[in-house]
Formats: sequence, structure tokens, C-alpha cells
Amino acid sequence: MSTDLETIAMLRDSAARYADDNYSFHDRWAVLDAPEGYSRKAWGDLAELGLLALRLPEDDGGLDGDAVAVGAVMEIAGSRLLMEPLFASAVVATGLLLKQGSSAQKAALLPQLADGSLILAFADEDAASDPCVLEGERLTGTKVGVLQGDVAGKLLVSARDATSGEPAVVMVDADEIGVMRREYRLVDGRGAALVSFDGVRVERLQPESGESAAAALADIRDEAAVALCAESLGIVNSVMTVTTEYLKVRKQFGRPIGANQALQHRLVDCFLLQEEVRALTAAAQQALAGPAEERARVVSGARAYVIQAARKVCNEAVQMHGGVGVTDELDVSHYFRRLMTNAALFGNRDAQFVRFVDAALAA
Amino acid sequence: MTQARAIEVLRDRAERLRQDVRRFHAEVMPADLRDKSHRHQVLDKNDYVRWMRLLDKQGWAVAHWPAEYGGKGWSPLERFAFEDELARLSCPWVIPFGVKYVGPVIYAFGSDAQKQRFLPGIQTTEEFWAQGYSEPGAGSDLAGLRTLAIREGDHYVVNGQKVWTTYAQWADWLFCLVRTDRDDKPQSGISFLLIDMKSPGVTVKPIRTMDGYAHVNEVWLEDVKVPAENLVGEEGKGWTYAKFLLKNERTAGAIVGWAWHVLDRLKRHARETVVGGVALIDQPLMRQRIGEFELRFLALELAAYRAVEAMCDGTENGGEASLIKIRGTELYQDVMETLVESLGAAGVAYDVAALHSAELPPLGPDDAGGILKDHFYNRAATIFGGSSEIQRNIVAKGVLGL
Repeated sequence: MSTDLETIAMLRDSAARYADDNYSFHDRWAVLDAPEGYSRKAWGDLAELGLLALRLPEDDGGLDGDAVAVGAVMEIAGSRLLMEPLFASAVVATGLLLKQGSSAQKAALLPQLADGSLILAFADEDAASDPCVLEGERLTGTKVGVLQGDVAGKLLVSARDATSGEPAVVMVDADEIGVMRREYRLVDGRGAALVSFDGVRVERLQPESGESAAAALADIRDEAAVALCAESLGIVNSVMTVTTEYLKVRKQFGRPIGANQALQHRLVDCFLLQEEVRALTAAAQQALAGPAEERARVVSGARAYVIQAARKVCNEAVQMHGGVGVTDELDVSHYFRRLMTNAALFGNRDAQFVRFVDAALAA
Repeated sequence: MTQARAIEVLRDRAERLRQDVRRFHAEVMPADLRDKSHRHQVLDKNDYVRWMRLLDKQGWAVAHWPAEYGGKGWSPLERFAFEDELARLSCPWVIPFGVKYVGPVIYAFGSDAQKQRFLPGIQTTEEFWAQGYSEPGAGSDLAGLRTLAIREGDHYVVNGQKVWTTYAQWADWLFCLVRTDRDDKPQSGISFLLIDMKSPGVTVKPIRTMDGYAHVNEVWLEDVKVPAENLVGEEGKGWTYAKFLLKNERTAGAIVGWAWHVLDRLKRHARETVVGGVALIDQPLMRQRIGEFELRFLALELAAYRAVEAMCDGTENGGEASLIKIRGTELYQDVMETLVESLGAAGVAYDVAALHSAELPPLGPDDAGGILKDHFYNRAATIFGGSSEIQRNIVAKGVLGL
């Protein structure tokens, strides 16, 4: 079932209006200085607006938002550089809990997720490190780049069951004995953590539906990739707006720099990329609900292309701004850094590209 | 001596110089400085002054100057080999403002008094220099500068604002392009002034860049009195001197060395990192990408050598320095982007404070933080020192006659 267009328009408008009124680039300086790497006040406001219940079923007071609805919010998060754990907690971890949690687990946690009192982070596999191992109820291993794992109250962790050899999803309190967190800042100013588990007692997620953890993990990784495409689109939209404006107002050699055909053509190429990013993001959102092979092809293809395209646009934006493009006081460099983090989450460009090629050439 | 023989002699000298530089790096350079720069840590003023004096002790700080001013009269090829080799070894930056930029302007165009007063301190970095060229309205269009110097008796009164002034916070002196004639054509009313940074009316405001540091500054000049004897050469000829200097700014062998260094770093990382049981360097996509970088580097290196040798025998077309800068910085940035991406989670973990200390970065190899810092800093490599766009204009106009 898909979210109706009216709800999506409402989501987009309320998120955009909130950002306009409370989250200007100027307001954001205080957030960058906050030790948590996000604004508690804004987090509370986003909960008030119902955005943290974006994915919750209507029966639980949520909006039952699909990929398009999630995308509408992620686009605003990207275009306004929101630092709050919308993606980490409200989109990804909440999404995984909805798939894999038991009724009791969901009943206990969903209200806290909706009102923002609980931040849940998902610690997934990293291609370059070994999976965490689950022996009975004990978890051992390390997860490196856990986005906003520094501020999460609980963690969902993907692991391998030592007995069955199958993937599993477990939940653990972030301050449980045996959980070691090394907190650090990401290039875009948000927090993250390296988390180690030393035989920690954990709770398994076991849905009544019987859906396997393997299937749920594959789904959530694709959903995350698509949400990140929407965030990239938001980044590209903002960067294009400011760069187009700059080419009109910045004068050198007695005329606007945008009067130079060499720059006009380069900006047009960026605009073409922007259009492609928009189209690919929309297609990937639709493909999430489609058949598996088509989903792999479109989702991974979109993500691989969007990372590359958005990076190109950000690089060009910096270059066309010249010196001010690399300063901290201008937003362009912040979009550049946000995109770096975005591109490092949930399967890098090469991994997505390889999966795309396999799917595209499978026929 | 025939021309072919002459170039052979220079090549031999350049190769011997490379060996000397490698020996110096291994045996003479203090371990702390070597380790810091290996990990791409942040260097402070004291580190840089030590570094510049160390080079001077080797006779290298001003070796490109003529012998009568204390140099060795290095050819462009030796100069290139020296800068390239230092960069390959990941040595600290050779701060150019004194020894490369203002020094040659002073010995070429300055008065005897200026030569005696300033050249020794430049050679030994007794005095630290900064460059006052760009202004908020005069970046690529340098001739659009507005800082005004009005002659009043035996001094000038200077008012204006400079921007992107690297290490102005450490500088004793600023060499500065100013407008001494309001009514003249853009380029003919410009003069070259040496300004004591301790003068009343000079204010330095740091500009923070995306690496988290403030290497660059705004320099505000408000009613700054500058003795008339600090004018270099003739009033109104500043543009000629500036062009002479910019030519020096762009003959950077360091760019080729940096590209080599980050490509080497990428290869090492790709060999050491195993993903899904296979070393990164053996994964087809990465292997092809690195292979393409290798090929681009080969072309850059050969074209750079050819360009520098043309400078030695006077057959240059005027586009050589632009070629090296465009190709070198673009390759550097592309390799760096792949290196940072291949670091995975460590490629987005950034602890600015750790870069000042011996602390390790939050994740990844010991130099992960320094690599990120350089990635951010050198995002501007295609912007500073004549942007890639300006370099292409130079070739279009000067070489192709368009």
C-alpha cells in the first residue's frame, strides 16, 4: 500500500516550513557546536510534527509512510542539512524494528521512538570487517561506523548465529555491561561510534510473522540506500540553487562569471545530473515494492549513479564558488561534507555498482 | 656544448639531487618532523621555521636564486626534481612566500637597500612572509583590486582588504599589490609594496576552511603608513612584477610529487585492505581505477618533464606551467577521492584536535585523519594559485591564440 499524495505533500511542507523557521544555516551553527552533534530541541520539535512516527502503522499513531513519504522527509533533511537522527533512528532502525520486532517489543518501543525519547541506531555489517557472532544470547564482535551510535539509547545489531550460521538481528542497551563505545565526529559534524561487544547479553528480535532476519536485512539495506538517494537529491537541489545564483551575482572581469559559456555548459551538465538524480530516486522508491531482481537492478543502479552524480555536482559547486567554496562560513562546503558521509553509508558505490551489473546482465 | 648534451648534464644533476634529497630525508630530517609529515599531521609555525632552516642548512632554501644572492642558480629541471622528490617523500610544504615569491621579485626589481635589508632574512626564514594579492572582488580577476595606497610625503597611506592570505597570522611582512593611481587602466595603476605586519592599522582575521583550520585569513589595512622606500621597483609597474611572481608560483614540481604520493598511498591501502577475502587492489573495479590513475600519472610525469626541459632550453610555449598545474591537481583530487572512499568508515571520521597531537584518528590507519585533512585542504588546489579555469584561459590565449 502506498502513502497518499496528500499525506506526502503535507509531510514535505511541514518539514520544509519547520526548517525555514527554525533551522537556517545560521541557526545550525549552535547545533554544530552541540556535544551531541544534533539539537535536542529540534529533535523534540520533529517528534511534535509527527515526523518520527513517519514509518509507524496508523494503529500506532503513525503515518504508515512508504518509500516516497520517507523520501520527502529525507530530501528536506539533505537540502537543509538537518543533523538530527532522522535517518539513523526514525527511518532505518525503526524500519528494522517494525519488520523484525515481536508485538511485545514493538509495543514497548514504538511509542518512545515516536515521541523521540528513544534514539535507536542500527549497527550493520561493514564490508571490511568480520560479522558479529551470536552465541545463544551473547554477542561478540565490533561494528565500526555506526551513524549516531554515540547518542543512541539502544542498538539493533546484525550478527551471525554461531549455531545455525544464519543472519540474526539483536537488540541491546547502549550502556549494557560489555558494550564499549568509542564516540567520534563525522566529517559533516554528526556523531558516530565504533561499538564493540564482548559477550554481551542481548535480546533477539523475533517477529511473529516468521520473516527471516536475512530477508529483513536485505530489505532494510535497500530501503536505507533509497532513503540516502533522496537525501542526495536534497543536497543536489540546494547546491544547484546556490551555485546558479552565485554565477549570476559574482562578477569578475567586469561581468557575471555565469556569462562565460565554459561555466554555463558545466552548470548545464550539473542540471542534467540533477534531473537524473530526481528520476532515479523516484524509480528506486517504486522499485522497492517490486520483484527482487528488478529491485536489485534499479535500487543499486540508482544508488551507484546518484552517489557519483551528486559528488560531481558538489565538486563543481565548490569549484565554481572559488575560494569561498571551501570555507566553513558558506553552506557549499557543508553540503560537500554531508555528501561524503552519505556516500559511505550502507554499501559504497562499488558494491552497489557490482550488484547493479550482476542484475542488469542476468537476463 | 650541444643542446642535447646540455640537457643530459642537467638530467644527471637533477638525478643526483633526488638522491641527496632521499638521503637527507632518511638521515638528516628530525624524526618528529618526519613522522608528523608522514601522517599528514598539522604543522605549527615552529615546525615550519625549523623545516625551512633545515633546507637552508643544506643549501636548498634559495638554491634557485642566482649565485650573487646566495643561490646556486638551479635550472628549472633541478628545481622541479627537488620539489617533486620532497613531495613524493611526503615532506612538509616548502613555504614559498619568501624564498619562491617575494625573494626573486626583490633581487630582480628591488633597490640595493631592499636586497640588503630583506634577502638574508628570507633565506633563513628569520622573517616570515605572506602574500597580499587576492581581494574579495579580485580573485581570478586580480587586476580588479581596489586596495589604495596614497602617497603622502615620504610614505604611503594604505587602505583596503586582502583575502586568502595564507599564514598571515604568522607573518612579519606582507608583500602586497596596491593601487597607486585611481584613474589609470586596471593594470597600469598597480604597485608592489612591502608592508610590516606590525604596522598600526593591520588586522588579521582568520577564515576557517572545511578542514577545520584557519590557514588563510582576511587582512584589513586601515590607514596603514608604509615608508615610500618599501615600494619595490617603480610605481605603476606592480603588474609586471606580479606576473613575474605568478610564473614562479605556477612552476610547482610539488604538484607532480603530491600526485605520486597519494597514488602510492592508495596502492598501499588497496594492497593492505582485504574485503570479502580479496585484497582491494585485486578487485576488478578498484584495479581498473588504480590502473587508470597510473596511466594518467605516467602522462603527467612525462609531459611535466618535457615542459620543464623546454623551460631549460628556452623552447617553451608558455603553457607548460598551466599544463602541470591543471593535470597535476586534477589527478591529485581524483586519486584522493578514491583513497578517502576506499577508507570506508574511516574516510568520514574526523577528529580535528587529534591532528595537532600524536593522537591516532578515531578509525583506520594512523594517517587516516591527515589524509582527510589534505583531501579537504587540497579541494582548493584547483582554485588557489590560479584556478584551473584561469590556467585554461592562459593556454587558450597565450598558446592557442584564441
